[in-house]
Amino acid sequence: MINIELGHYLTLGGIIFLLGVVGIFLNRKNVIVILMSVELILLSVNINLVAFSTYSNEITGQIFTFFILTVAAAEAAIGLAIIVSYYRNKGSIRVQDINEMKG
Amino acid sequence: MLAHTIFFYFFSIITIGSALMVIASKNTVHAVFFLILDFISVGCLFIMIGAEFLGMIMLIVYVGAVAVLFLFVVMMLNVAEQKQSWFRGLKSTHIPVGLIVSIIILSEVLVVIGGWKYKKNFISTDSIVIDSNFSNTHQLGSVLYTDYIYLFQIAGIILLLSMIGAIVLTYRKREGVKKQSYINQISRERATSIDVVEADFNVGVKIDD
Amino acid sequence: MSYLIVFLPLIGAILGYSLKSLGDRYVEVITTTFLFLSAFLSIITFYNGIVYGEYANYKVFEWISSGNLTVDWSINIDPLSSIMLIVVTSVSSLVHLYSIGYMSHDPNKPRFMAYLSLFSFAMLTLVVSDNFLQLFFGWEGVGLCSYLLIGFWYKKNSANNAAIKAFLVNRVGDFGLAIGIFLIFNYFGTLNYNEVFANVAEQSTKEINFLGINVNLITLISLTLFIGAMGKSAQFLFHTWLPDAMEGPTPVSALIHAATMVTAGIFLVVRCSPIFEYSQAALNFIAVIGMITAVFAASIALVQNDIKKIIAYSTCSQLGYMFFAAGVGAYHVAIFHLFTHAFFKALLFLGAGSVIHAFKNEQDIRKMGGVWKKIPYTWFLMLIGTLALTGFPLLSGYYSKDAIIEFAYFKNSSIGYYVMTVGIITAFLTAIYSWRLFFKTFHGKYNNSDLPIEKTHESPLVMLIPLIFLSLGALFAGYAFKELLIGHHYLDFWKNSIFFIKEIEHLHLPLWLLFSTPVLVIIAIPLSYYFYIKNTEILSGARKLNEPFYNFLLNKWYFDELYEAILVKPLKIVGTFLWKKGDQNTIDRYGPDGFSKIIKYFSNKAVKLQSGYIYDYAFVMLLGLSFLLTYLMIK
Repeated sequence: MINIELGHYLTLGGIIFLLGVVGIFLNRKNVIVILMSVELILLSVNINLVAFSTYSNEITGQIFTFFILTVAAAEAAIGLAIIVSYYRNKGSIRVQDINEMKG
Repeated sequence: MLAHTIFFYFFSIITIGSALMVIASKNTVHAVFFLILDFISVGCLFIMIGAEFLGMIMLIVYVGAVAVLFLFVVMMLNVAEQKQSWFRGLKSTHIPVGLIVSIIILSEVLVVIGGWKYKKNFISTDSIVIDSNFSNTHQLGSVLYTDYIYLFQIAGIILLLSMIGAIVLTYRKREGVKKQSYINQISRERATSIDVVEADFNVGVKIDD
Repeated sequence: MSYLIVFLPLIGAILGYSLKSLGDRYVEVITTTFLFLSAFLSIITFYNGIVYGEYANYKVFEWISSGNLTVDWSINIDPLSSIMLIVVTSVSSLVHLYSIGYMSHDPNKPRFMAYLSLFSFAMLTLVVSDNFLQLFFGWEGVGLCSYLLIGFWYKKNSANNAAIKAFLVNRVGDFGLAIGIFLIFNYFGTLNYNEVFANVAEQSTKEINFLGINVNLITLISLTLFIGAMGKSAQFLFHTWLPDAMEGPTPVSALIHAATMVTAGIFLVVRCSPIFEYSQAALNFIAVIGMITAVFAASIALVQNDIKKIIAYSTCSQLGYMFFAAGVGAYHVAIFHLFTHAFFKALLFLGAGSVIHAFKNEQDIRKMGGVWKKIPYTWFLMLIGTLALTGFPLLSGYYSKDAIIEFAYFKNSSIGYYVMTVGIITAFLTAIYSWRLFFKTFHGKYNNSDLPIEKTHESPLVMLIPLIFLSLGALFAGYAFKELLIGHHYLDFWKNSIFFIKEIEHLHLPLWLLFSTPVLVIIAIPLSYYFYIKNTEILSGARKLNEPFYNFLLNKWYFDELYEAILVKPLKIVGTFLWKKGDQNTIDRYGPDGFSKIIKYFSNKAVKLQSGYIYDYAFVMLLGLSFLLTYLMIK
C-alpha cells in the first residue's frame, strides 16, 4: 500500500471507468451528463495507458494517449453539436423524453 | 517515496470523489465543475508520474477547451434543475441491479489486476524510472514526428472533420439578415440605380420599394 | 369418335362456364350443342356396334402403374356401354334443351348448364370404364354433381340440407362399394374387368374370414358391391335421399334422378354379372330388396301430394323392378327396363316441370286440376308418359315391365314366384297412383286459389320439343328394341358384356300371367278416375277411419324419423364432442392456437425491452459485458 505500484493506478482507472459507465445508465437528468460520463471513461483509459507507459518505460503509451485526447475532444464537440441540434428540434434534453425508438 | 504515496492518494481520492459528484449532482453546472476538477486532478497525477507534457496538455485541451465547451452548451440550453437527487426519482430496479453488476465488474477487474502481482517477469511494477536527460516533451516529440507521423496527420484530419461536422450540424441560416456584399456594391451601375423622373407640382413621385 | 362422346360434355362445361361473361345464351348454346353432338355420335356408335360389330377398348392414357396394379383411363365400347351411352347422352341433351326454357328466369344459368354437362361427363366416364377404379371415379363424380345440382339454389336452407343428405346417404353406400373394390383387388390382384371376370369361376368356392365370420368370397364381394348400388339407386334402406332431392330444379330431377345417376346402381350390378352369377345368395338378396323397394315406394306414392315427390317415389319403385329383374338373373331385361324407363320417366318429370311452370311454381296436386284444355300439349305428353309408366299394352313400359314379371316366373323358384306376385301387385299400385297424379293435375275441379285459371299458359316451344322426342321414345322404344335386347336371340346382341351361367329357359307362359298385368293396369284407369275425381268421399272416409295408417304412409313409413333417432342424433353428438373437445380444445389448443398464443406472449414481453431510452440500452450492454467478463474469467 505504501509503495505505489502499477496496480494502484490501474485500480484507479478501473474505478473511474466504472463510475463513467454507471453514470450512463443511472442518469435521469439530461443528455449532457451522458457525454460527461463518456469523457470520464476516456479519462480512465488515459490513466491506464500513461501508467503502463511509465512503468514499462515505453513512450508509446503516451503517444496513444495523445490520440485518444484528440479524438475525445473531437467527439465531445460533435456530441454537443448534436445535442444543440436536437434541442432546437425537440425543445428538451430530458432523458425521459427521448423515447421515440420505443417499440 | 512517501511523498509519492501521499500525493497519489490525495489526488486519486479527489478524482474519485469528483467523478462521483459528476454523475450525482443535481445541478448540471455543478456537474461540469466537478468534471473540471476531475481533469485537473488527473492532470496533476500525470505530472506526478513523470508525463508532464501530457498533464499540461490535459489541462489546456480538456479543461480549457472541452469542459468550457460543455459549460457553454449547458448555459445555452435551459437544463432544468432536478428537484430531487437522482436516486430518489427512479422507479425501476435499475439501481440495485446496476450497482451490483458494476461492483461485480469492478471486482473482476481488480482480480485481474491483483493477479499481476505474480507476473513479475512481464514488467517491473515496483518503481518508476524517470530519465532526467530528456524531458517528456523531448521524448514525445522524438517519436511522434517520425514513427507515428501518419497517425499524427490523421489526428489532424479528425479534428478538421469534427470542426466541419459541428458547424454543419448547428448552422442556421437566418432569414432577413442584411449583410454587406461588396461585390454588389462595386458592381453597381448608373443605369440600374438612378431613375430620373419628372415630378408633378404638388403631386409628388411614387417610389417603388 | 368415342373420345369425343366422352369428352365433349366436359369441354362444353369448361368452355361454357369459363366464357360465361359473353352472355348466358352463349353458354346454353355451347353446352347443349356439344351434348347433342355427343348423343348423335353415340347413336352412330351403337349402330356401328350392331351392324358391324365394332366393339373395342380405347385407351386414353395410363393412370396408375404401381407394382401389380395397372389401371388405365379407357373408353370401353361394348354392347352394354353403348346402350347406356345412348340413354345418358340423349336424355342429357334433351334436358339441356329443356333447361334453356325452364331456367330462363334464373340468374345463374351458366353455372347450371356447366353442372349438367359436368354430370354428363362423369356419368359417361362411369359407363365406359373398363376397370373398377374409373367406375369409382365416375361414381363419385356423379355423386358430387348430384350434390351441386340438388343444392343449386344454395340460398335455400332446405336445398342445402337435401344436398348434404343425398351426398351422405350415397357416401354410406359408397363405403360398401369401396370395400367391395378392396376385396376384389386383394383376392384377384387386379382391377380391370376382363381380368377379374376371367378369374371369378375359380374363386367361386373360396371362403374367407371377414370380421370373424366365414363367408363365401364371391357372395361377400357381391353384397358389398350391391350395397354401393343400393346407396346410389335409392333402394329400400338407402332411399331417404331421393324424395328430398326434389329440392333441385326439375331438369335435374329428370336427368339425374330418373334416367342416369340412379341407374348407375343397375349398371354396376349388370356390368358385374360375372361376379353376381356365381353367388345365388346375393342374387336372392338383390331380388328381395328390389321387390320390397318396389312395393314400399308405391305405397308411399299413393298418398303423396307433391307432384315431384310422387314421380320420385315412382322412380324408386321402378328401380326396385330393375333390381329384382337383375336378382332373378335376367340382366338384359333389367337394362331394357332401364332403357325404356329413362324415356318415360324423364318425360314425366319434364312434363311435371311444364305443369309447375304453367301453375307458376305450384307443386301441390291438391291445388291443381281441370286445366287439360288450357295446356293441351302438356296434357297429351303427360298422358303418353303415364300410359307408358303404367305398362299400358303396346307402349314401351308394357314390354319391359311384363318381361320382368315373366322372367321372374321363368326362374322357377320360390323367390321367383314370390317376387312375381309382388311385382303384379306393385304394377297395379303404380297404375293407381300414376292415374291419381294425372287426373288430379289435369281433370276435375280447378283448385288453385292463388292463380286464376286464365293465367295458366302453355310452355314455350323450347320446353315442348324435348318432351316430344321423349314421348317418341316412350311410345316406340319398347317395341323397336324388344327383339334386339330381350328377344330369343338376345345373346347375339349382348355377346359377352353380360354373363349368364346358363341361359334362362323361355318356358311357356300361362295365359293368366300374360293377361293379369295388362288387365289390372287397364281397369286401374276408371277406378282411379272414380275414386279421385268423381267420388272423393269414399277415400276421405277411408282416410278418416285409418288415420294412423294414412299418416304412416304419408310420412314415408317414418323412416326419416327412425334414422334421425338412431343414426343422426348419436352421430351428431359424437361429432360435436370430437369437434369441440377433441379438435378445438386439444389439438388446436396445443397446436396452432397454442403456438400463436405463446409467441404473442413472448413477443409482448420482448417488446418491453425496447423502451426507447438510451440508458436502458446501455444497461443491457453493460449486462452483456459483465456476462462476457465473468465467462472469460471463470473459463
